[in-house]
Amino acid sequence: MAIDQVHDLQQVYRKILHSMSRPGTISSLADNAKKVDFDLSCFHATFLSALTFLDAEVTFHILSSGKQSLIDKISAYTSSKYAPINEADFIIVLQEDTEESIQHAFLECKNGTLIDPQHSSIWIMESSTLSNSGELTLTGPGIQHAARLHTSLSPLLWQARNERTREYPLGIDLIFTDENAQVVCIPRTTTVEITEVS
Amino acid sequence: MKTDTHFAFFDEGSKKEIRRAIIKAVAIPGYQVPFASREMPIARGWGTGGLQITLSIIGKSDVLKVIDQGADESVNAVSIKKLVHDTTGVELTEQTEEASLIQSRHRIPEVALTKDQIIVLQVPMPEPLRPVEASELKTKTMHAENDYSGAWLMLFEQIMKYGKTATAADHPVYVNDRYVMAPSPIPRFDNSKLHESEALILLGAGREKKIYAVPPYTNVESLAFDDYPFTVEAFEDKHCHICNSTDVFLDELIDPQTGETIHQCNDTSFCMDQLNKKVEEEAQKSYV
Repeated sequence: MAIDQVHDLQQVYRKILHSMSRPGTISSLADNAKKVDFDLSCFHATFLSALTFLDAEVTFHILSSGKQSLIDKISAYTSSKYAPINEADFIIVLQEDTEESIQHAFLECKNGTLIDPQHSSIWIMESSTLSNSGELTLTGPGIQHAARLHTSLSPLLWQARNERTREYPLGIDLIFTDENAQVVCIPRTTTVEITEVS
Repeated sequence: MKTDTHFAFFDEGSKKEIRRAIIKAVAIPGYQVPFASREMPIARGWGTGGLQITLSIIGKSDVLKVIDQGADESVNAVSIKKLVHDTTGVELTEQTEEASLIQSRHRIPEVALTKDQIIVLQVPMPEPLRPVEASELKTKTMHAENDYSGAWLMLFEQIMKYGKTATAADHPVYVNDRYVMAPSPIPRFDNSKLHESEALILLGAGREKKIYAVPPYTNVESLAFDDYPFTVEAFEDKHCHICNSTDVFLDELIDPQTGETIHQCNDTSFCMDQLNKKVEEEAQKSYV
């Protein structure tokens, strides 16, 4: 079954909106991910997120090198243009990307200006299975008390992310995806503390 | 002639653009994200901002409630409901609890909202600093520099003139201790409902081309001075003349027959609920 550009993407958007307004809340895109019926070198949830947000008005960047076929596919489906890391509105990080390259990209990417903090990059990042029992403690808007989260992002990278969002309202907003088509979001307002180093 | 419109009226490109603006608005609570406000089949100033948000996020399984100044049956609410229903086929409701999506003009319902609901507020003037500064660039700079002396000065001048802050509605709020935001012209009575709300609150200004948001569990504080604390409309010793409710926002009316001042619930569906409950209780009593 093919993805319904109208209704599937609306459902995906609402799930992501739910997770973005409640950082640490994991949403499942499994019903929609079932309909992705071709081979991709990324998770289905990653591709669905890209389809939901990208069009000809915004640009994207894929951190991994040698992903021309994925770039072509995303461009073909969304009319979005590929751009260098310091210009891209959306940055897609695949599971195979190294700590070093992500750290470098965190420094290079757009994080907005004080006049226009929305001119920042949104990251779609692949992670190992997401869960709510983990090394991270989240607090901030959208979280009643505190939330726990596990992602495969290393403590070093969380530090780099925290550094990049220090000068609020400047910052970057992260959407994590996993291979079970789950998503979780960490907007710039969330305080992320690493409670245990695994 | 009647042609079939696309689902939810908008083309997918418009929806995407508005959806991106909403995501950024949620990530930066209280900050007004500019967006390319579309021409709508209703006039600007009649809720096009709210309508554009509603149409961009609504899906087939949503249940929609639209209210205008607390009323489900007023012209603005009915025409918006009709437009959304005709282009999406979603179920409509007047029950606050049943709705998954609530579009509202100038009120937040009396019934507490839940985490599975989204409330969309229509905003005529999104910029709380506009009365003190006409230039958009300058107000943007003020927000950037966290310079809200203008907003404080407005309240101060009201205290000097009237002995109290005289904002009838749309009393400015601090969101997440950073941005001063116009909560749309809701009465001060409703300001506390923005604070640590369970539901996501989205605000859309069509004419001014701005979208902003208050995520759930976000600190929202009404601007006030230590010696002039924030006060809400008081309805002491007053109750709804239809359902006898107290502690709700009441409209003041004049009884055309007697010429007396009477009060009535502003939230019509809440009032109806109270009446229905009473009827039910009485019916059960008489049954026993």
